[in-house]
Amino acid sequence: MRYFLFRMTVYAGLTVLGFCLFRVQVLEGGRFRRLSEQNRVRLIPLEAPRGRVFDSRGNLLATNRPSYDVVATPEDVTPEVFPRLATILQLSEKEVRRRMSAPREYPFAPALIKEDVPREVLFRIEEYKPELPGVFIQIAFLRYYPYQETASHLIGFIGKINSEEYQKLDRERYGFNSLIGRTGIEKIYDERLRGWRGGRQIEVNARGQLVRVLSEKLPEPGEDLRLTLDLDFQKKIMEFIKGKHASVAVMDLDSEGLIALASSPAFDPNVFVSPGRAQERLQFLRDVNAPLLDRGVSSAYPPGSVFKLVTALAALETGKITPNTRFFCPGTFRLKPGARPYHCWSQHGHGSINLYEALERSCNVYFYNVGSRLSPETIASYARELGLGERMRLDVTNIAPGLVPDSAWKRERFREKWYQGETLSFAIGQSYLLVSPLQVLRLTAIIAKNGVRVEPQLILEKNPSDESKKTAIHEENLKVIKKGMLQVVQSEYGTGQLARVDFGKLAAKTGTAQVPPPKTAHSWMTGFFPYDNPKIAFVVFVEHGGSGGITGAKIVKEMIQIWGENVAKVG
Amino acid sequence: MWRKWVKETHWPLVFSTLGLAAVGTMFIFSASYHDSGHYMSKHLFWMGAALGVLFLIPVMGYRTFLNISYLLYGVSLMLLAAVLVIGEQRLGAQRWLQIGPLLIQPSEFAKLATILALANFLGANHPWEKKWSVVLASAGITFLPLVLIAKQPDLGSAIMFVPLLAGLLFLWGMRRRFFILGGIIATVAAPLFWGFLKAYQKKRILVFLNPNLDPLGSGYTAIQSKIAVGSGGLLGKGYLAGTQSQLQFVPEHHTDFIFCVVGEEWGYAGTLFVLLLYSFLFRSAFQVMEHTTDVKAKLLVAGILAVLFAQIFVNIGMSFGLTPITGITLPLISYGGSSLVATTLALGIILSIHKERSIF
Repeated sequence: MRYFLFRMTVYAGLTVLGFCLFRVQVLEGGRFRRLSEQNRVRLIPLEAPRGRVFDSRGNLLATNRPSYDVVATPEDVTPEVFPRLATILQLSEKEVRRRMSAPREYPFAPALIKEDVPREVLFRIEEYKPELPGVFIQIAFLRYYPYQETASHLIGFIGKINSEEYQKLDRERYGFNSLIGRTGIEKIYDERLRGWRGGRQIEVNARGQLVRVLSEKLPEPGEDLRLTLDLDFQKKIMEFIKGKHASVAVMDLDSEGLIALASSPAFDPNVFVSPGRAQERLQFLRDVNAPLLDRGVSSAYPPGSVFKLVTALAALETGKITPNTRFFCPGTFRLKPGARPYHCWSQHGHGSINLYEALERSCNVYFYNVGSRLSPETIASYARELGLGERMRLDVTNIAPGLVPDSAWKRERFREKWYQGETLSFAIGQSYLLVSPLQVLRLTAIIAKNGVRVEPQLILEKNPSDESKKTAIHEENLKVIKKGMLQVVQSEYGTGQLARVDFGKLAAKTGTAQVPPPKTAHSWMTGFFPYDNPKIAFVVFVEHGGSGGITGAKIVKEMIQIWGENVAKVG
Repeated sequence: MWRKWVKETHWPLVFSTLGLAAVGTMFIFSASYHDSGHYMSKHLFWMGAALGVLFLIPVMGYRTFLNISYLLYGVSLMLLAAVLVIGEQRLGAQRWLQIGPLLIQPSEFAKLATILALANFLGANHPWEKKWSVVLASAGITFLPLVLIAKQPDLGSAIMFVPLLAGLLFLWGMRRRFFILGGIIATVAAPLFWGFLKAYQKKRILVFLNPNLDPLGSGYTAIQSKIAVGSGGLLGKGYLAGTQSQLQFVPEHHTDFIFCVVGEEWGYAGTLFVLLLYSFLFRSAFQVMEHTTDVKAKLLVAGILAVLFAQIFVNIGMSFGLTPITGITLPLISYGGSSLVATTLALGIILSIHKERSIF
């Protein structure tokens, strides 16, 4: 009985196959024959619109605009089409042929002939459609950055994927001609910004024209992103650093979000996403001013006196000095009598001063004295504790890790021992030390938040760092540093008094980082505001800008005033 | 000696096998002569090995295989495990082992080893005693290789173990309530199983249910292969004259989708011919099954039949959209050395059962 059932199942199965094949091959055979003879099924990929990028107040920073593309299925195109299409599109016939035979994703995939054609061309194509078999119009999306240079480094731009990437990536999301984020937010958040591709299977007639849609999957648009950036604030900052090689970064201390991250000179990212602007692209790449470089993030410089904050903390923490330890500054410092002199910036000297005054006046000799009591390893370990010399987790491409040297590093790099004189330079932020402006901003933010480990954010949804995650530095020592920073601006002898504003107490530190002559020094200023209840931390950096107390402080003052007028009022 | 051999061989089974292998060889040539993969020479090598196996097994006798069935089963499990560790990766899955110049697919041999082990185990137990433990143990024997193969991932081959187990238990005489219970367990386990599937496997099943979901990917393959089969019409476009398959609209047309080429080039006449050859093969196997008195042998034939039938049904079905697209070969016709040799090994065992049947 069971044997019989088993046997019947097998024969019944084969019979079912036989009947189904009869239906498909004999009854419907004609239709499939027709479909196959001309290969009349076409697959038209539909790219998903990319997610948009907004600032914290809902201003559009990156969006899409429709582009009318002329495409053609080369298999359907007859020889007469080439000259006709060449005339309409004002291309050479050879060029039309070249684009028609470019490699494609699969047989019968449409080839892109010309992107973003004007309306008149569109109408002409439609008008001559009967004489242009295989040619049709497809709507695509072009990226558009309405505020051009304003946040160009941050947002970045997109570009066509290359064949290596195409081989590696998921075919459902990346097609042969898909666009992919190349720098900035566009690159880091490409996964989220890009949607899912769709496609349409269509049946065409012998002239390659649509008869009916067989099936369709609509593309799913990408996710929109909202940044912590304040566009108006960023715009104003960009205006007053225009023409300089400078960067300004401002962080909201509550959310740890960056409300401005400006770098000058900048570029118009639209140049990279619009067809036919290759010439301008090359210009940007060749420009000696390096407009593509994000000076706040992707480049590291000697910090100069700004680093005295770290040296002071290292000495306080290790008990080498107290806030009231006094050293006498005669204008020069020698490790041993008769040894090479190290100069203070003030040749007359600062006299006998304590730590607060040393920070306030940025006295080099005081910090030479401090440095001579510390090993390079101790300074380096505190620098690292405060986030220097390490890559940041921020969502920006090409983050410069900077460099915190110590004797082991020097042995490795130069096969030479570390000289004590180098510790002196290290203590005042010179020697081999390199930091990016954003690292300095984080350092200041850690001080302002009494030792909480800070990670600058760019996307609004992320939660600020855990308050309990603190650095190993004692709060009372941070208070000393904060007070010193207050005096830098508010005291009559302070190096940063040009930055003083009338609506609150500012705390900051200036830096004037020496570079090999004949170039002018880099100008730095970093701080937080207001002193009593800090809301923001900032860093200003001007490449070869001269004195930090002049060039830097002027920018800081202007920036704080704008923040007070625009951001603080609303927020 | 010679006359004895002629007398003891089940010629209808041999001829249907040879007929199918000949059709396979013709269409592997048709599907691959444009490619540069030297498929034809490799295929002929494997074909020689397969025919050797077909005639050698009856000389050795199927009982030898039953006696060492647990050993074979153990070895095949080890090979499957080795595939996961050191296997060759192709087309996103790790299914092959490189042994010298040969690339073998252990899952094909694991199927046969599992049939042997199950037949041996079930044949040694009477269905009316120790029901629970026997049913559970045979389920265990089946699921070990199934899970290892599903991990590769080769879901299609793994699924083939299910009709194998069901067919064997059914013929062994498992009580009806176990089937009902099994059905319930399967229904409950299905959602859990769904969670283990890879994204592309889920998609294939969803696309099978609704081809419009994915016109770009597997939906495209589905419709193109259906067009290929359908466009063959009654008599086909002629050997080597298929346009769909020759133009490579249908992927994997020398392995999984070879039936498309048959359907397109030989039309309904050709597909019906292939179906008839298969029926003839099955009829012969059923005859052998009827005439043997050895319970283990009966179960062995049943297991082989169940797997062959399931593979044929799923493979032919997927070429025109009756079943989901899975990477299952068409026995004796598709290109693939392991599949071919494993199939003739199984058929050789059936031939041997015929030879050693007791004659009353």
